Amino acid sequence: MASQNIDPMLPTMQNKEKKVNATRRKDGHSVTMRLQRELMNVMMSGSTEVSAFPEGDNIFKWIGTVKGPKGTVYEGLSFKLTLEFPADYPFSAPTIKFKTPCFHPNVDEQGNICLDILKEKWSAIHSVSSILVSLQSLLGEPNNDSPLNPLAADTWNNQAKFKELVHEFLKKNSKNKSS
Amino acid sequence: MHMRPDEGEGSGGPMNADEAEVRQRRPMDEEGASAEPDGATGTSTQQDGHFECNICLDTAKDAVVSRCGHLFCWPCLYQWLETRPNRQTCPVCKAGISKDNVIPLYGRGSSNQQDPREKLPPRPQGERPEPETHGPFHNFGLGDGGFQMSFGIGAFPFGFFASTFNIGNGQFGGHPPRPNVPQNPEEQFLSKVFLWVAVLFMFWLLMA
Ligand SMILES: [Zn+2]
Ligand SMILES: [Zn+2]
Repeated sequence: MASQNIDPMLPTMQNKEKKVNATRRKDGHSVTMRLQRELMNVMMSGSTEVSAFPEGDNIFKWIGTVKGPKGTVYEGLSFKLTLEFPADYPFSAPTIKFKTPCFHPNVDEQGNICLDILKEKWSAIHSVSSILVSLQSLLGEPNNDSPLNPLAADTWNNQAKFKELVHEFLKKNSKNKSS
Repeated sequence: MHMRPDEGEGSGGPMNADEAEVRQRRPMDEEGASAEPDGATGTSTQQDGHFECNICLDTAKDAVVSRCGHLFCWPCLYQWLETRPNRQTCPVCKAGISKDNVIPLYGRGSSNQQDPREKLPPRPQGERPEPETHGPFHNFGLGDGGFQMSFGIGAFPFGFFASTFNIGNGQFGGHPPRPNVPQNPEEQFLSKVFLWVAVLFMFWLLMA
């Protein structure tokens, strides 16, 4: 169980909570407050499919993880993403990118994602968890009509070939990134 | 950082217990504080989860409900509608929504029964004219200041003055004394004396 690993984080969490409560006296609708709540929700959901946590002390920058959906070419893989929240979140969408190289019709080489709910269909009720869940389903159900990665879109129908390319892409780009 | 996100799951356990305790305690603390204008709700509890604003995820403050039934803080919803003037839709269900067709919710004990929609955007305050007093003074064009002063000089009988020298307006003729200024007969008599003194004085002034 990872619980003993997480223990050192608990004090941090509580400190943040206090800080946030203090801010709240002044501004009951601070972005920080909402992000804090989302963090709580993400952690309490206990989901094994998606997870997220602020990167360092900055609650406006998170690292998320999405597991490749079962029964898809991504099964067994785990994708890390960066989430950056704007100052007017949740009135504007966060900026989300794949950190782990992802060969996918709607993800480009830099990890940028084309997903309507992160763009024009953004709504204030979307949350970190709902976004990550949406991204997980996007993995299994790409929108091949407006691809960021045309090769991936063209290969999608050949799932065996696609899976090969997924792993190839991962290996190739991981090396680049770690250097 | 390589292990952090994965551990989000594992942390569910300890956080849960910790949170649960906080949640247990909170409602009691809030019981007495509920009348505070701020609401001072602190961490919202599981019990009132149904009354959380869909945008800030906190207990809805200056709550409004849309026609489609979705609850928001008015400031939150206002900001949402402001950020997309061209697409005024409910953030939850995408139903059409506008600032004018949301309903403010007033809970028991909420100290401020003002329609939250009137707080934001800041509108010019509505005018609140003084209720009409039907006092005789308006005939003389005297303001409240003059009125107060005349009473300061020992019940100066402007009321009677007005009724006697009615400036072509019968309405004041038999007007009863103002309820908050009870006058006994003696005072009324004195008033008449003063009145005539005043009239004579004015007459004298005019003649002089
Ligand atoms: Zn709100
Ligand atoms: Zn709605």
